[in-house]
Amino acid sequence: MNLVYLYDGSFLNLLTLIAYLFKHQITPYNIKNQQYNPNLLEEIINLNVSNEEQIIPKLIEGLGYYNFRLLYYVFLSEEEHKELIMYYYLKNGLKYRNRIGYQRNLKCVRKVLKVGQYVFHEIHKMKGFLRFKELENRILYAEMEPENNIIFDLSIHFQKRLNQEYWIIKDVRRKIYSCYNKKSFILIPEENFHLYTKNQSSEEQEFESLWKTFYQKIGIKERKNERCRMNFMPKKYWKYITEVRDEL
Amino acid sequence: MELQEKLKILVDSAKYDASCSSSGSSRKNKTGLGTTSISGICHSFASDGRCISLLKILMTNCCIFDCKYCLNRKSNNIPRAIFTPEEICKITINFYRRNYIEGLFLSSGIIKNPDYTMEKMIETVSLLRNKYHFYGYIHAKAIPGASEKLLKELGKLVDRLSANIELPTNEGLKLLAPNKNSQKVSEIMNYVKENHSKKYVPAGQSTQMIIGATKETDFNILTKSANLYEQFKLKRVFYSAYVPVNNDRLLPQLKEPPLKRENRLYQADWLLRYYNYKVKDLLNEQHPNFNILLDPKADYALRNLKEFPKEINKCSYFDLLKIPGIGVKSAKRIISSRKYFTLRLEDLKRMGVVIKRAKYFILCDGKYFTDPHYFKKNFIETNLILEEKEPEKKSYQQLRLFK
Repeated sequence: MNLVYLYDGSFLNLLTLIAYLFKHQITPYNIKNQQYNPNLLEEIINLNVSNEEQIIPKLIEGLGYYNFRLLYYVFLSEEEHKELIMYYYLKNGLKYRNRIGYQRNLKCVRKVLKVGQYVFHEIHKMKGFLRFKELENRILYAEMEPENNIIFDLSIHFQKRLNQEYWIIKDVRRKIYSCYNKKSFILIPEENFHLYTKNQSSEEQEFESLWKTFYQKIGIKERKNERCRMNFMPKKYWKYITEVRDEL
Repeated sequence: MELQEKLKILVDSAKYDASCSSSGSSRKNKTGLGTTSISGICHSFASDGRCISLLKILMTNCCIFDCKYCLNRKSNNIPRAIFTPEEICKITINFYRRNYIEGLFLSSGIIKNPDYTMEKMIETVSLLRNKYHFYGYIHAKAIPGASEKLLKELGKLVDRLSANIELPTNEGLKLLAPNKNSQKVSEIMNYVKENHSKKYVPAGQSTQMIIGATKETDFNILTKSANLYEQFKLKRVFYSAYVPVNNDRLLPQLKEPPLKRENRLYQADWLLRYYNYKVKDLLNEQHPNFNILLDPKADYALRNLKEFPKEINKCSYFDLLKIPGIGVKSAKRIISSRKYFTLRLEDLKRMGVVIKRAKYFILCDGKYFTDPHYFKKNFIETNLILEEKEPEKKSYQQLRLFK
């Protein structure tokens, strides 16, 4: 029987589960989130391991901070078998320690580098592409639809940048809100969240149109290069970007 | 005049400045608005594919100078406008809050005299920093000829200062910009270099040159850049392909801006800064211009073919960098990986090496990728040029079964 081990969806729980599997020398067929529906050939096992906080500092010491951060980014991705990739990466990590990043001949390492970089780049891009609107009550409100689950890392960035503002970021695909109250931010799922108003403030229209004017004027028409623009700013993000939304 | 109209005029005049980088500074936010990011952040991309990270505007497009290539020269009959400091602050702050921009790029035409213009710019920037507590990125243009005291004051408020040298030689400058003086630009650069610190212009200085407006060769331009990097520790020299905006008998008549040439110069600029090349490796008096068909690195490799092919598993880091298709990142990866196993051609692909370019110049474990007889200049050159051409887009049509 193909055994699929389940974890509760959190990063810490997944790491604890993987450590448990190493300890008992179990090679899993797959590792999945609790909501997973097994197919006919699979059997699910829920070990309910209790989280060990100690595991993260240990892993950072072993793998090195950079490799560990990459692993965390893989966890944020939507890669189909990310848990299994992480399992094999950590398994090889026991042997190679902080040199794991150089073992490009291993498939799991290549995957982690590729997927991790992809998530890292998306976080960086979103720092630029996110667009806030000012609501009636001066709260800044932004919607986005990223490929990966990056709302937490993005919130850390805006917590520093807009620390004297109230803001809300919504991940439309995952239905999560991130709210900041000038002190700290929290993530709230859509069911528990109610936005009183989505009406824009009186100034919003003015600045939006100023920005569109700026955008149109800044391009030099003798140098027009549609392909170059598309490379840097893919169409999948356009829906929420004020200045190009109308071109869709 | 309405804000909308003013913005239209003053952006239109500012867009020919190439620099838009927002990197190199890490200003922490205490109790105000904004931070800067050490790597810089692009917020949008304009229709010409250039990144938009700063609100690039002129304070005013009124100018007492009459530079031939410039849209804002005083003999041009165009609508003129001027922003008040409050207006600039209002736009910057509100754009920044909505995450449209990373900061402000403030340049200006020269009104009355350089000192007066600079004072107005300082007023704007200090309003932003002190009244609105803005901690984002600010890039300001220094006005040549302004006093040292003002330069000192402005430098403390901004992240990056720049002064454009516009044309690579003095003769060119005299011809097209009779009011400008390259001596004054060097004075600014020297002052900024001497005083550069974490408190003064933390992101360093940059400059810009116009390409194709005068008869200078690539060799002249690149020698000038190399000198600038060495003499004044510049962060970047920007090249801007000349876009004809005025009619003047001193200006060349171009059908389109020399974009390919600009591209080759940027490639060479990178080779100077990160790949340890010297100008004399790339160009000399007998060979003063770049080959438009080939990038400078491949061109160098072809002219020095006796150094190649290089053995990937043995040659040094700097030798690796000389191979077309291998960059700084992939060279570092090769160095760190080959300690553990011998590299083959397939492994190189995973390191990020551009195989279709590199394969002509390397040996992997003693093997050439094809018959060693083909290691000839003509063969490699033809293939590289063919590689670089963008494939023509063909539109395919679905075959129809029924008519």
